Formats: sequence, C-alpha cells, structure tokens
Amino acid sequence: MSATDDQADVERVLAGDIPAFEGIVRRWQGPLVNLAYRFCRDRGRAEEMAQEAFLRAYRGLGGWRKDAVFSTWLFALATNLYRSELRRIPARTVSLDDIAEPADTRATDGGLEDQDRDLAVRRAVWALPAKYRETLILFYFHDLDVTTAARSLGLPEGTVKARLFRGREILRGKLTQRLAVPRLKEA
Amino acid sequence: MRRLIRHDEDEIDRILSGEDEILPSSGFAVSVMDAVRREAAAPPPIPFPWKRALPGLVAAGLALALALVVGVMVIAQLGRASTTALFSTSLPSVMPPIFHGGMESAAIWTAMALLVTLVSVKLSMRLASGRG
Repeated sequence: MSATDDQADVERVLAGDIPAFEGIVRRWQGPLVNLAYRFCRDRGRAEEMAQEAFLRAYRGLGGWRKDAVFSTWLFALATNLYRSELRRIPARTVSLDDIAEPADTRATDGGLEDQDRDLAVRRAVWALPAKYRETLILFYFHDLDVTTAARSLGLPEGTVKARLFRGREILRGKLTQRLAVPRLKEA
Repeated sequence: MRRLIRHDEDEIDRILSGEDEILPSSGFAVSVMDAVRREAAAPPPIPFPWKRALPGLVAAGLALALALVVGVMVIAQLGRASTTALFSTSLPSVMPPIFHGGMESAAIWTAMALLVTLVSVKLSMRLASGRG
C-alpha cells in the first residue's frame, strides 16, 4: 500500500474524478472492515460501519492535511466513527464477572485447551470497560504500535500506555488461572 | 513475580495479536462506490438561512436579556425586603404564592426548579443518546 497512490487518488477525487475513490476503497477495505469487526464482532455490522467510514472519508477528503499520512487520517476517522457507533448501539458483550475462572484446573487434566484459553482472553477483552477495550483493540490491530494506536484514538501516547497497562492488569487479574495453565504444563 | 507478569503479558500479546482476519464480501467495494456516487450526485445540503433567521435570533436574544434583567431586579427587590411581613405587604398580588414565605422559601423553590430542569435535561439527553 503506497502513500503516493493514496495521495494521487485523493487529488484526483478532489479534482472531480469520483471513480478514483475506488482505488482508496480497494486498498483500505480489508483493514477498515477488520478494524470494525474487532470493535463489534459482527461481520455484517462491520461492513456497514466500514462503508460509513469510507463515505465520511469521501465527504471529508478536503480536510485531510497532508502533514499526516493518509492512512493515519483514515484510521483516526474510522476509529472515531466505530467508537461512537458502538456507544450508540453497543455490541453484545459479556460482563467481566461472567468470564468464569475454571473451578479446578486439575479437573481438566492439567489445563484447558489452547483454543478455550484464547477464546476466554478475547471474551475478557470484550468485557473490559470501553476505554481499555478500545485501546487494546487499536494496539493489537496496529501490531503493538503505541504511537499509531494513539494517533488513531486521538490520545496522547502516555494515556494510551496507561490504559494498556491498566487494561492488561484487569485481564491478568481475571485470567490468572487460565494463563497459568501452560506454565504448569511447562514446569 | 515479575517473570510471571511478563509471561502473562506475552501470553496475552500472543493471543490477541493472532486475531483471525476476515475478508470483506466480494461486493463490498462496489457497494461503497455506489454509495459514494449517490452522495456525489445528491444536491448539496441547503445552507442554514442565517439572513432570514437573524431578526428572530436577535429578538429571542433581547427577550432573554430582558427576562434576565427583570429576574435580577425582582431578586434584588426580594433581597431588600428584610421580613416576611414586609415582603407580603409590598408584593401581595403580583408574586406567586410560593414567594410569600420569604426569601428562604423562594430560594428553595428556585433551587428545586433548577434541579428538576437539570435532571430532566440530563435524562432526555441520556435517552436520546441511547444509553438509557
């Protein structure tokens, strides 16, 4: 994905060549739909939200100041939209208290399957308070890049780091036994 | 202990970094471009008629200012009335009955009215934003 391609397409669209926007859609549809999916866990809704993000991007193309990379601007716009959409109509989530610890890990013959543990961690992220959940989603979506996550969220890096720390702390507290399982196996 | 925390973090990182990717449906880009074309073809939104609305806005502003001035004057007048008796004889008919109890009573009623207003505004905003 080339930044110069984005810039060229934006300039063409701004000059009145509307079909040039398709280049932007084709380049960024995957990331935008996937980011939306991480927010709502519903494929159909993810596509609706991503479509709305592209429409807003189209309407606001003139507002992109070229001091930031186009993708940064696009992700910030999409993140902002997804967050407000999810605040308006929340995704079906589970309470943190519903992320049950196994009653006795020994009862499962040394531990739970990896798949179950992964699912439990993802559900626990889902059940986090919105500000921690959103930060964690963006952090992992951007391949553990705090700077990019902070730009997408429109927050200072320090705030993002603090929320990541706190979010992971909550996760650890909730999932201690499940995360401990492989350690017991390894020992 | 630090090693255990590090291990947990690594485990969380590993699990959450390995999220499954989904592919947009085949017609997604076409559907987006249809929406974009519709958007481009739509007439531009009608701008707010500031020129027409200006006299009304000015009148509303003046009315609000007048109401504030009258309110301040009434409150100042109430403040000057030192006793309930004096108050009830000086403004027996023009003021509503709630003010006949004196300054304290009026203040309580005003505070209650403000509180009710605040609660109703907050409640309606909450309901409107779908968080109710």
